[in-house]
Amino acid sequence: MSIITISRGSYSMGKTVAEEVAKKLNYEVISREVLLDACNRFNVPEIKLESAIHDAPGILERYRHSKQSYIAYIRSALVERVVGGNVVYHGLAGHLLLKGLPNVLKVRITADLERRISIVVERDKISPVEAGKLILEDDKQRRKWTHSLYGEDPRDTSLYDLSICIDKLSIQDAVDFICQAAGAKGVQPTERSKQKVKDMAVACRVKADLVDEFPNIGVTSEYGNVLIYTKDKDTTAGKLSRQLNKIRENISGINHLETHGGIEFPSDAV
Amino acid sequence: MEPLTLDMILVMSMIGLAIFLFIVEWVRVDVVAILMMVALPLLHLVTPKEAFVGLSSNAVVSIIAVIIIGAGLDRTGMINKLVAPVLRIAGESSSRIIIAISLTVAIISSFMQNIGAAALFLPAIQRISKMQKIPLSRLLMPIGFSAILGGTITLVGCSPLILLNDLLAPFNLEPFGLFDVTPIGLALVASGIACFVLLGRFILPQGDDKEVGQADPDQPEPGGDLTEFYELKTPDDFIDYRDPVFVEDLRRRYLLNVVAITEPPDYHVTSPQPDMEVRSGIELVVCGQKKDVLRMVSVEGMHLKDDLETYKESLSAQTAGSVEAVVAPRSPFAGKSLKDINFQDRFRVTPLSVYRQEETYRAKIDDLVIQVGDVVNLHGTWKRLMALQKEGGLLFSLPTDLEEMRPEKALWAGFWLTTALVMIMGFKIQLSVSLMTGALGMILTQVLTIDEAYQSVDWRTIFLLAGLIPLGIATQKTGAAAWIAHTILNIVGDVSPIALLTVIGILSTLFTLVISNVGATVLLVPLVVNMALAAHVDPRMAALVVGLATSNSFMLPTHQVNALYMGPGHYRTVDFIKAGALVSVVFLVVMIAMISLVYGV
Repeated sequence: MSIITISRGSYSMGKTVAEEVAKKLNYEVISREVLLDACNRFNVPEIKLESAIHDAPGILERYRHSKQSYIAYIRSALVERVVGGNVVYHGLAGHLLLKGLPNVLKVRITADLERRISIVVERDKISPVEAGKLILEDDKQRRKWTHSLYGEDPRDTSLYDLSICIDKLSIQDAVDFICQAAGAKGVQPTERSKQKVKDMAVACRVKADLVDEFPNIGVTSEYGNVLIYTKDKDTTAGKLSRQLNKIRENISGINHLETHGGIEFPSDAV
Repeated sequence: MEPLTLDMILVMSMIGLAIFLFIVEWVRVDVVAILMMVALPLLHLVTPKEAFVGLSSNAVVSIIAVIIIGAGLDRTGMINKLVAPVLRIAGESSSRIIIAISLTVAIISSFMQNIGAAALFLPAIQRISKMQKIPLSRLLMPIGFSAILGGTITLVGCSPLILLNDLLAPFNLEPFGLFDVTPIGLALVASGIACFVLLGRFILPQGDDKEVGQADPDQPEPGGDLTEFYELKTPDDFIDYRDPVFVEDLRRRYLLNVVAITEPPDYHVTSPQPDMEVRSGIELVVCGQKKDVLRMVSVEGMHLKDDLETYKESLSAQTAGSVEAVVAPRSPFAGKSLKDINFQDRFRVTPLSVYRQEETYRAKIDDLVIQVGDVVNLHGTWKRLMALQKEGGLLFSLPTDLEEMRPEKALWAGFWLTTALVMIMGFKIQLSVSLMTGALGMILTQVLTIDEAYQSVDWRTIFLLAGLIPLGIATQKTGAAAWIAHTILNIVGDVSPIALLTVIGILSTLFTLVISNVGATVLLVPLVVNMALAAHVDPRMAALVVGLATSNSFMLPTHQVNALYMGPGHYRTVDFIKAGALVSVVFLVVMIAMISLVYGV
């Protein structure tokens, strides 16, 4: 019933590791499906979601907030996928999108640069110099992305439970380590952790429904008691309360809905 | 006209800075005042002595004495004593109740700080609302406005008027007497009350007439009148094979407040602490909405009883109940979260919900940081609630309030107040000396202790006043006030005295809405006196208009009194705009009319 996220540098063989782990543990493996779910549910072209989760927000986007909306959609789709547990998610920022959930094993897979370059050279038939540039640029974009949205550096190992470099360790070694870690007591689901995932799914859904009109809100849910935090009370209150009735009807699992205006967001707000 | 000098430009920039800081509120208003106190001597715009002269000014000492006298009146329980006879005279009609209470508040407020009088009366008004079944929203605004208007009845009623004589001193103008403003003040109070009595139904939000305090489970009253109690029993296997369930969990999961619970084998706990565990086969009483109770019953397998059984006695209306406690100005609870205050542990009462600016908070209220004016719905035994009430910081009424009398203290308090007044009027002794005598008398006759007197003084008010006085001096000394006054008059040309006073009135009203009334007075008085001198209008009248019109703060809930009553009255900003606009216009008209009538401008 655990959830494993595998974050990876580009061409670091994280995908292979994820698939092997899923096979061994008999878990479901998800990656792009989340984007497709989000596209279907929120009627957004896949290309936009893809760029939202890959490229760092530009200057204009800081004002348009469209990237925030797309990420809220993706997050909502992802959390809904993992509610049942027994999944391996490999894709960008899984560990950040599922931040706050207690029973998630967060893994980082990297590989040494030489090896990554050789993979790209072989795959794309380009020179090693070009391949190196491509990889470094890609890494830079991802760093910028996580930094601009979450203020974190993806290379920071404290974000992960396990960080494995495929160099001296083989893919199979990595798979073994991860499977062993997945059996650890700390990542086993409890009543509370299961409830937490359910609550996060509700909160993410509410946020996704509101984010277009109210980009600066925070949402928490605790046992279906949903709290919407707004920074500024007066400007949004009226518009927001009109939306809330719709939300109450559309989203299942809400017992109570309340807005807290002009209050500092709690750290677990999505 | 004098040419513009560097000093004048510096003073005007300091005024601009002060106004800017008052509006944006990056720092508190009193800190702005202290900034002025320090910056002006550094810029050589006033001498170091002048910079701190405010602290020893007649106005500041008078305010300290007025605050102590107010605290003394508060300690006597005189307010509770006043309410019963006032209500007897008023009878049943709600208009007459509004008139009677408003007049009483206005008169008290004329010798106290407005906010002090307003806070003092709030529990009494809550009780009247319950007793006479009049919605609080119909009572609070007229009474709050009367508290502000009452400040214009005497020269010690509000800070701007107390300041007035100090601000007139540099011009060698004759100071005002304590009761010089009384006819104008009384007319203002009367017109304010008349607005609400005659037009109340159009300008006041109409609270519904259903019985106040009656809970309706589907449509909770704003303020969270969720006084529905349900007794439940946990099954015998409640704690088997599961994570322990705590009192706090029931609140977080089902928004139900546990107000009583049995600790095995048979120990009855009222207002249990959040970390108390819910055991098997015990009774508990929760307070909340029926649908949440039913949800809990089905999820947790509890048994819902038809009525209170085990706790019938200990939670009966004679022993326990809930109150709507308003967080008082300068309350020690303000700025703390409910979790930090820990009402359950410290006072054995349970917070049920919090009401703030049109919003009732029921979920995760532990994390809410309490602000002045918030209404916290608390449940507990009357004994515990009384202990909490004695602690201070929260304003609410209890059924036992009427019995709490300290007649000997009331007599002493009345005696010293009268002594102070006789000294001012009969012997023409200076305001600060007379009032301080009254305050000292109350301390000596043990109406309140010296420590209580020190604690009651609001340093914010003191430094706001004292810090802005040098700014007034600098505007006058550098000639900046005269320069601005002449420039404005040159542009406007010749105006009639009435027109000039009206413009000053409007200007003061606008200033007081955005910057504090003290700030507006200090900045405007030197200016308008110069304008009046140049336009050959009585400068004392121009200053008086400022002193009075800075109390014309009704249109926004920025005045302390309005901010305090907004929560318990469940008012919205638009309610203040609606009623306040009318009262403000009436205020200006009546003030100008009375000044021309009394002083013959």
